[in-house]
Amino acid sequence: MLVEIRNKTPKRLSSTVEAPSVGRLNGDQDRIRFQSVVMPHLGDAYALARWLTGDRADAEDVVQEACLHAFRGIGSFAGVNARAWLLTIVRRAAYAWLKENRSAALVMVDDLVAIEEKQSKQCAASGEVGSQTPEAALIAKTDAARLESAIAALPLPFRETLVLRDIQELDYREIAEVTKVPVGTVMSRLARARRRLITSLATDVP
Amino acid sequence: MTTSAPADHANLLVHAYLDGELDPAHALEVERQLARDPVLAAEHAQLEGLQRLIRELPLESAPQGLTRRIEAAIGMPQAARWASHPSYHPSWRALAASVVLAAFLASGSTWFALRPGPTATVADMVVANHLRALMAPQPADVASSDQHTVKPWFDGRIPESPRVIDLSQQGFPLVGGRIDVIGRVPVPTLVYRRRQHLISLSSVPSSGSAILEAVPRAIAGYNIVSWTDDGLTYWAVSDVAPADLHSFAQDFRAVGH
Repeated sequence: MLVEIRNKTPKRLSSTVEAPSVGRLNGDQDRIRFQSVVMPHLGDAYALARWLTGDRADAEDVVQEACLHAFRGIGSFAGVNARAWLLTIVRRAAYAWLKENRSAALVMVDDLVAIEEKQSKQCAASGEVGSQTPEAALIAKTDAARLESAIAALPLPFRETLVLRDIQELDYREIAEVTKVPVGTVMSRLARARRRLITSLATDVP
Repeated sequence: MTTSAPADHANLLVHAYLDGELDPAHALEVERQLARDPVLAAEHAQLEGLQRLIRELPLESAPQGLTRRIEAAIGMPQAARWASHPSYHPSWRALAASVVLAAFLASGSTWFALRPGPTATVADMVVANHLRALMAPQPADVASSDQHTVKPWFDGRIPESPRVIDLSQQGFPLVGGRIDVIGRVPVPTLVYRRRQHLISLSSVPSSGSAILEAVPRAIAGYNIVSWTDDGLTYWAVSDVAPADLHSFAQDFRAVGH
C-alpha cells in the first residue's frame, strides 16, 4: 500500500483513463480475466509499442490505450493465445497513434517498402549473398546501442516482423496473426529485415 | 548468379531453419545443403550471429507506473494490485509480468482455474507447479547456474538426483532446481531461462504401465513439451514460443547424450 507514490507525471494521458463507465460496465469477472490474460504480457506489450513508436512515453500511452481496448474486449477473447491477442491490439493502437502523430512517417514507410522490395530482388538476382566473412566480423563487434538504432531505422513492416520474431520470440504463425499478413510475407519480411540489418551494421561503421 | 529464384528459396529456408520453423525432414534437408554450400553456410553463420546479438539486447520491462495506471483505469480493486505487493525479490524484477500474475493468484479468485482438479493429468500438475514457482519469491529452491552445485543439492532430498545439463551455450542458462510434487511423488525440477522467460523441466519416472495420456501442447497459455529418455519422462513447461521450447528439448537431449 505505501509504495512509492511518486506519481510518474502522467504525460499526455489519454482522456479514456479516468472513464468511470469502464469500471461499472464490466464486472469483477472481467477484471479477473484481464489480470490473468493481459497483465502477464504487459512487458511484451510495452516492448512492442516502444519499438513501433520509438519512444518510451509514447509507448506507455499506446499500451494504456491498448489495454483499455483489451479490457473492453476481454469477453470476446477466445482463450487460445493471450500474448498474440494482446500484441495484435497493441499493434493496432500503435498504428492508430502513428497515423495521428506521425502520418508523414507512415506514408514514407509505404514507399520505402516498395523500394526495398525492388532492391532486394536486384540484390538476389545479382547473387550478392556470398563472401561475407568481413561482415560477420564487423557484426560481432556491434554494440547494443548501434544495433538498437539500426533496428529502429528499419521500415515499419520489417521492424515489427523482426521485433516480434527475434525479440519477442513469436513463431511465424503468431506473427502472421498479429500483423495480418500471410506466413509467406512474414518470411520474406524477416529475411529482408535481417539482410538490411546486416548490411547496415557492416557498412555504417561509426 | 542466374539462380535467383532457387537461391531466394534456399535463403528463406535458412531463416526458417534458424527460427526452428521447419519439420525434421526439411530441417535435415537444410542441414545437408549447408554442409555442401559454403555460401549458404556463411549466410547461416551470419544470420545466427545477428540473431544472437539481437537476443542479447537488454530488455526493458513495463514501467511500474504504467502497470498501476492500467490497473487504476480498469478499476482493479486495491487488493489485487501490484502496488500492494512491493516486496518481491529485486533480481526477479525482470519477471515482473509473471510476478503480477502471481500476485493476483495469491489474492485468490482464479486459482481454481489453474489448480489441477481430481482428474488432473501430469500435464496439469507440471503446469500448476510451474505457476506456483512463478508465484514464489524465487522460482528455484537452489539458485545456481552451476550444474555442479545444483546436482548435489538434490542428493539426499530425493532418491535419484536428475541429470543436470549446462545449456547456456544454447541460450538456456540454468537458473537452479527445486523439488515438485506430481501426484504424490516428489520429483526433481530444473529451472532454465530463455531471455526473461523461465522454463521448468521436471523428470518423472516412467511407470511400467505407461500412462497413455495425450499430451496437450499448451495449458492456460503455457506451452508443454514432453519426451521419454532412459526410463524418465521429461516435462518442459514455459511461456516461451513453442518453437523455442522444442529447441530447448532438442538441445537438452542432444547435449545429454
